[in-house]
Formats: sequence, structure tokens, C-alpha cells
Amino acid sequence: MPERDDFLERLRNDAAMLRHRPDEATLARIRERIRARVERPTVTELLARWLRPVAAAVAAVAIAVTVGYITIGQSQWQSGVDAGVEISLAGETYRVGY
Amino acid sequence: MANDDPQEARAIARVRNGDADAYDYLVVRHLPRVLAVARGVVRNAHDAEDLAQEAFVRAFENIGRFRPGEAFGPWVCRIALNAALDVMKHRTRFRHVEIAPDDRATRSDDAAVPAMSGEIAARIDAAIGELPDMQRVVARLYLVEEVAQEEIAAITGISEGTVRSHLSLARKKLREKLADLYGHDDA
Repeated sequence: MPERDDFLERLRNDAAMLRHRPDEATLARIRERIRARVERPTVTELLARWLRPVAAAVAAVAIAVTVGYITIGQSQWQSGVDAGVEISLAGETYRVGY
Repeated sequence: MANDDPQEARAIARVRNGDADAYDYLVVRHLPRVLAVARGVVRNAHDAEDLAQEAFVRAFENIGRFRPGEAFGPWVCRIALNAALDVMKHRTRFRHVEIAPDDRATRSDDAAVPAMSGEIAARIDAAIGELPDMQRVVARLYLVEEVAQEEIAAITGISEGTVRSHLSLARKKLREKLADLYGHDDA
């Protein structure tokens, strides 16, 4: 292809009227549509917003249950220790820890 | 292509930092070219508008992947171009309205353009439309939109040498198809 191509130059000249120049109203409408899309939170962001407090609540409940379970377990173990033990041997009953 | 507009670079930096308002500057600056690129492929205004919108939204969502210092225009044009080519591949799944002759010429001085020019333009349009995909894209960008070869390379993601090659092949075919208008010889 030559550096200066008369055929292409003529084609360009004759094809100029094919060039699309969108009017201001069209451009403004598309701009608005784009703005609405980019300023709107994405599905991921919406999910994150909704899930964050739910996850925090679930985590708080899980911690409370775990702490409660450990506390109750410890107190039962403690009360088990405090209650003492009965041992029966050769018809005699021995009590330890009362 | 490097970005030589400091205001654009600042807008991109702000968008990357989560400032959606700053995106409007980029939209205003590049929307006409993105529309033209999309329209050149899908050949109808409504699909081109949808594609341009989607291209800008996708560019916004992927701004983190955009390399600072690069020109934003060719990048968003490439997104629109790829989406438009994709639409053309799956044309049957989309509403398709052929471009109407009245919709074609939008120059402000339309009334002054002789009917003959309109007919020649329509012939050129049809001839470009018959070219294979990339030749058509390159020819339309170069001949109709008057985009420089360097920018066509940036938009299409192919090298300038390949752009020249596509243009050369397109030129040969257009010369044959439009021989009755422009003659056969290059002389």
C-alpha cells in the first residue's frame, strides 16, 4: 500500500457522510444509563452489605454458644468433683470427697 | 498507546480509588468513538448504544486491570469492539434491525449533500459490509471514522503491520467492488 493512497483518500472523502455523529440527547441518555449502572452497588456489594451483619450475628451466637458450652461443661466437671465418689467393696461402701 | 491527557490520568486514578463520579469525564470524552466503533460492527443504533453502555460499565468494573499510563479510549473501544463482534457471531440471539438509509447519513449538512454522494456512500457502505470481519472493522474505522492506523491497532489489539495488511486486502476488494465508480487502475 503506497504511503499516500489516492484511492483510499477518495474513499475516505466519499465515505465521510457515513460517519455517525450521535446527537447530544443520545449521548446524554447513554451517559445517564452508564452513571446509573456504575453508581449502583453491584450484586457482590449488595450481598456483602446484607451478609456482613448476618455473619456478625451468627459469629456472636456461635461465640456465645461456645463460651456457654465451655462454662457449663466446666461447672459440671467442678460439681462432679465436689460431689465425691462412692465405692462399694466387699459389702462395704466407702465415700470419698463428701 | 500512551495516555497524554493528565486530566484523564487523574480521573482514572480517582475511579480506581472508588470515586464513581470521576468516571463521567471518561464517558463524555470517549463515548462518541465507542459508539462509532460498536455501530460500525453491529450496524444499528440501538444495539450500538447498548454495547457502548456495557463497554463502559465493564471498563468501570475492571478499572483495576487497566494499566496506568495507557490510553483509556482504545481500551474501552476494544471492549466495545469485542462485544460487538461477539454479538455478530450470535446475531440470531439478538434483535436485528438493518440500518435504514435515512439513519445512515447524520451530517449536519445532509440537506446540502447531493443525492449522488449519498448513493456513492451507500455503495461504499455496502462494499465495506461485505468484507471479512477484521478487514471490515479496520476499513470502517480507517475510511469512515478516520481513525489513525496506530489507534486502530490499539483498539483492535493487533499490530500496526497487521492493520496495514488488513487495510491493504480491504483496499484490493473495495477497488474491485467499486470499479465502476473509481476505475480499475491505481494510476
